[in-house]
Amino acid sequence: MSDFMIEFVNVSKRYSDIVANDHISLGIQRGELLTLLGPSGCGKTTALRCLTGHNHPDEGRIFIDGQDVTDLPTYKRNLGMVFQNFALFPHMTAFENVEFPLRIRGLPANERREKVMETLKLVRLEGYGSHFPRQLSGGQQQRIGLARALVYRPSVLLLDEPLSNLDAKLREEMRFEIKDLQVRLGITAVYVTHDQEEALALSDRVAIMNKGRIEQVGTPEEIYESPGSQFVADFIGLSNFIEGTVTAVEDETTYLAVDGLPLCVATTAEVRVGQKVLAFVRPNEVELAAPGATGPNVLTGVVEKMTYLGDKVDYRLRLGDRLRLRVQSGGTMRFKPGEPVAVRLPVGRCRVIGGEK
Amino acid sequence: MTLARQYVRSILNAKNLLVYSFLLGFLLYMVTPFLITLFNSFGKGWYGMRWLPQGWTLNWYKWAIEVADIPVIMKNTLIIAGLAVAISTLIALPTGWALGRRRIPSKELLTALILLPRMIPPITFALGVAKIFYGLHLVDTFLGVALAHVALAAPYAILVLSATFEGLDERVLEASAVCGASPAQGFFYVILPLILPGILSSIIFTFTTSYNEFTMTLMTYGPHTVTLPVRTYLAVGEGYWEVSSAMAVILIIPSLFILFLIQRQLQPEKLVGGFKGV
Repeated sequence: MSDFMIEFVNVSKRYSDIVANDHISLGIQRGELLTLLGPSGCGKTTALRCLTGHNHPDEGRIFIDGQDVTDLPTYKRNLGMVFQNFALFPHMTAFENVEFPLRIRGLPANERREKVMETLKLVRLEGYGSHFPRQLSGGQQQRIGLARALVYRPSVLLLDEPLSNLDAKLREEMRFEIKDLQVRLGITAVYVTHDQEEALALSDRVAIMNKGRIEQVGTPEEIYESPGSQFVADFIGLSNFIEGTVTAVEDETTYLAVDGLPLCVATTAEVRVGQKVLAFVRPNEVELAAPGATGPNVLTGVVEKMTYLGDKVDYRLRLGDRLRLRVQSGGTMRFKPGEPVAVRLPVGRCRVIGGEK
Repeated sequence: MTLARQYVRSILNAKNLLVYSFLLGFLLYMVTPFLITLFNSFGKGWYGMRWLPQGWTLNWYKWAIEVADIPVIMKNTLIIAGLAVAISTLIALPTGWALGRRRIPSKELLTALILLPRMIPPITFALGVAKIFYGLHLVDTFLGVALAHVALAAPYAILVLSATFEGLDERVLEASAVCGASPAQGFFYVILPLILPGILSSIIFTFTTSYNEFTMTLMTYGPHTVTLPVRTYLAVGEGYWEVSSAMAVILIIPSLFILFLIQRQLQPEKLVGGFKGV
C-alpha cells in the first residue's frame, strides 16, 4: 500500500440515484502522471474531487502518501490544484495569488518573496507579478494558477481539465510546459481530461473511465495497442468493429468467419470455437490494394465514400453483404466512390476484444 | 489643425450643433432649479423679475441653524438613516445570499414582490403604515421612521447584494481551500474582499434612500423625529422661502459628497467579484 503515492480503495460516490463513482480502486505511483480519461459524466471529476476533499465518498478510503485522508478536510491535505477556469483570486495581483498559500502557511515575508519569484520564473512570468488576473491572457492566467499550485512544492499536483479553456495552439504549448515542470519537480500528478490526445501525450499511465467505473489502466501504448474492451477501443483513436464467429483457435492466430468470409486475427483473448466475437482493427492500419489482389485477410469490395483530409484520405468501404470498414490512407493510391477496391487486414494488427461470453 | 479649431469645427457641424444645444438645454433644465435655490439661500431681497438678488447675506443660514434647530434635525436624519441602513443590511444579507446562490422556485416572482414597495407610489401605503404604527406606538420614534424607510431601502439592498453574491464563484473558494486556507481564512482573505464593494454600494444606496425620504417620514414622524426633508418642506409652508432654500442646500451637500465618492471609487466591475474565464 505504501508503494503508491495516491490510492483509491473501493471508492464509491452517489448523487441521488446516479452512481458517479462505482467501487473505484486505483493506485498512483510516486512521480508518475496518471490521467483520468473519459467522456463527460464518466466520473473522473467526481473521483478527483474525492481526492481533493471537496466530495466525501460514500464508500471506500483514499490514501495520500500512506495516510488515510478520507475524512481530512481539503485545506489540510497539502495538495496543489490547477482549475479549468483558472480560479485566480480576482482581487489580488499575480504575485499575491502565488504568495497566498505561503501566507497561509505563515512564512516570513522575505522567504515568501523569494519562493514566489522563483516559481514565477519557473512558469516564465517573472515580470507579471503586479498584474491583476483580468489583465492577463488565458494562458498567462493558467500559468499563474500553476505557479500558485506549485509554490509550496506539494507532493501531489491535481489538474482538472486545465487546458480546456485555451485555444488549440496554446494548449499544445502548455501541455509541454506542464509535463516538463512535473518531471523536473518530480511531483506525482493526477490529470483529468476528456481529450485523448492530451492524455496520450502527457501521461505515464492512463485510466479510462466509463459510467463511474475504471475500464482499463495502462500506459498510452497499452491503451492504444491493446484495448481491453469495445469502449476503450472506441474511445481511443478510430476503430472498426467486425462481428465474426470463431472457427478455429491456435496459439497465435484465431480464425473467424465474418459474413462467410475467412479472417485471421491475433489471438488476444480466450475464445471458444463457435463463439461470436468482436474483432477490431484501426482504420489507419488497414492496407489498401488494387482489386484483384489475393492473399490471407484480403477482402474485396467497393468504395462508398471518400473524404480528403489533407494529410490522409478517409474511405468508407462496403465489403461483402453487410461488412463496412473505415480506412484511412495516406498512400499514393486514390480511389473514387464506386470503384472496386481490395483491402488487406494485417493479422498482427487485428485483435479480438469482448464479444459474447 | 489646432484643438480649438477642431472644436469650433465640430460645433459648427450641423448635427453636432443640434446635439450640443439639446445637451445645453437639458443641462440648464436640470441645474437651474438648484441654482435658484442656491442664490435664494444667499440672497437678500430677491423678488419680482430680477435676475439676481439685490444683496447677499448669510442670515438665512444663521436662522436655519439657530432658530430652526437644523443641527438637531440633521442629527435626527442621520440617526434614522443609520438605523435604516443597519436594518436593511441585516435583512438584505441573507436574502441576497439566498437569491444569489440557491435555486429557489419562482425566483422572478419573489424578486418582483421584493421590488413592489418601489414600484407603487409610497403615499398609497404610507397611510396604511401610519395607521399600523399608531397602534404599535411607533410614531415619532427613531425606530418607527427608520422601519418605514426600510420598506423602501431594503429592496435596493437586496438587489445589489444578490447580484454581488451571485457573482461570487465558488471555485475561487475551492481554490483557497486547496491552497490551505481554513474556512475562516477563506472568508477573511477571499470572500470578504470580494463582497465588500457590493456591501458598500448597498449601504450607500440605503443611506441615500433614507436620508432623502419625504413621504414615509411625513406619515410617521413627530416633534422628536423631524428630518431635514420634512423640515425644509415645513419651512416653505411657514412662508420662509429663503430659509427653506438654505435648508435645501444643507440637505443637498451630503448627497453631493456621496455622489462624488461613488463616481471615483465604485466601478461597476468591482461591484461583483467575478473574473475572466468560464
